[in-house]
Amino acid sequence: MTLAEDNGPERGGDDMFAAEYVLGVLPAEERQIAARRIDTDTDFARLVDGWEIHLSPLAAAYPEIEPPAAVKPAIDRRLFASTATTSAEAPAGLWSSLAFWRGLAAAAVAALAIYIAVPYLNPPAVQPQARLVASLAADGSDVKYLAVYDAAHHEVGLSHVSGERAAGKDFELWMIEGKNAPVSMGVIPAGATAHIVVSPAAQQKLAQGAVLAVSLEPAGGSPTGQPTGPVVAAGDLKSI
Amino acid sequence: MTPQDITKLIVRTSMKDRAAFDLLYRQTSAKLFGVCLRVLNDRGEAEEALQEVFVKIWMKADRFAVSDLSPISWLVAIARNHSIDRIRARRKPAADIDAALDVADPAPGPEAMVVAGDESERIHHCLDELEKDRAAAVRGAYLKGESYAELAERHGVPLNTMRTWLRRSLMKLRECLER
Repeated sequence: MTLAEDNGPERGGDDMFAAEYVLGVLPAEERQIAARRIDTDTDFARLVDGWEIHLSPLAAAYPEIEPPAAVKPAIDRRLFASTATTSAEAPAGLWSSLAFWRGLAAAAVAALAIYIAVPYLNPPAVQPQARLVASLAADGSDVKYLAVYDAAHHEVGLSHVSGERAAGKDFELWMIEGKNAPVSMGVIPAGATAHIVVSPAAQQKLAQGAVLAVSLEPAGGSPTGQPTGPVVAAGDLKSI
Repeated sequence: MTPQDITKLIVRTSMKDRAAFDLLYRQTSAKLFGVCLRVLNDRGEAEEALQEVFVKIWMKADRFAVSDLSPISWLVAIARNHSIDRIRARRKPAADIDAALDVADPAPGPEAMVVAGDESERIHHCLDELEKDRAAAVRGAYLKGESYAELAERHGVPLNTMRTWLRRSLMKLRECLER
C-alpha cells in the first residue's frame, strides 16, 4: 500500500494530500503525483494554495543568507546564454500603468482557463505547438478579444467577446516583444471574428510568445506608427 | 520593498523584462537561499538549487497571477518545493556538518513582518493547540522538508503510524484555522 492509495475516497482525502505535499513529508513518487495534479486539476491546485497560505508564516523562520556573487551570472548564463546583451532599463509608458497590470493579471487568469480547457476541446493529435492563444482584456475596459495565433497559416484569428469601438474610432492590434516598442499588426476589422495576416518578421516573435495589445485609435489606425490611444485590452500568448 | 513592489517585479518578469528579473533577484535571493540552504543543508547543492529556482521563476512567473499567494510566499514555495524535490531525489542525507546551519531560528526579520499579521498569529496559535512534540514535528517538517521516513525513524515509530499521527495533527490544524 502506497501513501497515495491510502489517500482513499474519504472526505478531505485530497485536502490532506495537499497538506502533506505542502508540508514536504511525501516521498518522491507521491510528490510527482501531486505536482502533476497541481498542473491538471484546478480544485487540487486550490487546496495546495490554501495550505501554502496557512503555513506560509512558518517561513519567517528561514534566515536570510546572501548567496555567493557567482550565482546570478550562472543563472543568466543558463537563461540568456545566446543573447550577449545585458539588462537594459525597463519599458515605460503604459507599462507603468497600474490598470494595465491589473488587466494583465485578469487576462492571465482567463488565458489559464483557456489553457486548461482547450485540450478537452481539441483532439490532442493536431500539432499542439502550432497554436498560441491569448485572452485580451484590461481593467477599466469592457473590450475583450480571444486571440489565436495559427503559425501554420501565419495569421492571428480574433474573436470579439465584448466591448464596442466608439464612433469614428478603430481598434488596432499591437505585438509587444520583450522591451521593444509595440509593432502594429493592423487595424482590427469590425465583426464577431477577424483574421489578421502576420508578417514573416513578426511570426517568429509571436511563436516565442509575445504580448498582444489592443488600443483605441482614430479611424484607419494610429497616424504615428505607435499606439496613441488607451490600451483597452492586452494579454500574452501561451501555447496550448 | 512592499509586497506590491515584488508583485510588480514578478509580473514584469513574466513579460521577460530582465531589469525587473535582476531587481527581483537582488531583493529576494537572500531569503530564497536561506530556504534552499536550510532544506538541503549543503552549500554547493543549495547554490545549484538557487540557480534552478530562479530559472523556474523566470519561466513560470506568469503562473503567479493565478495563485492566491502573497508574492514572497509564492517565491518561497517555489524554493521550498524545489529543494524538497531535490532532497527526495538524492539517496542519503548530506553529512555536511560544515554547512553549520544548526543555528537557532532567528527572530523574524523585516521580510517576515511582511507575511506576519493575523494569519501568522493564527498558525502559531493553532500549532500551540497541538501536543508539543506534534507541533514540533509539523514545524520541523515544514522548515527542513523532512520526509515521513525520516520523521518515523527519528521518533522510532513505523512509517504508517507516523503518517496517521501527522495527518491527525494536520486535520486538527485545519479545524483550528477554519474556526
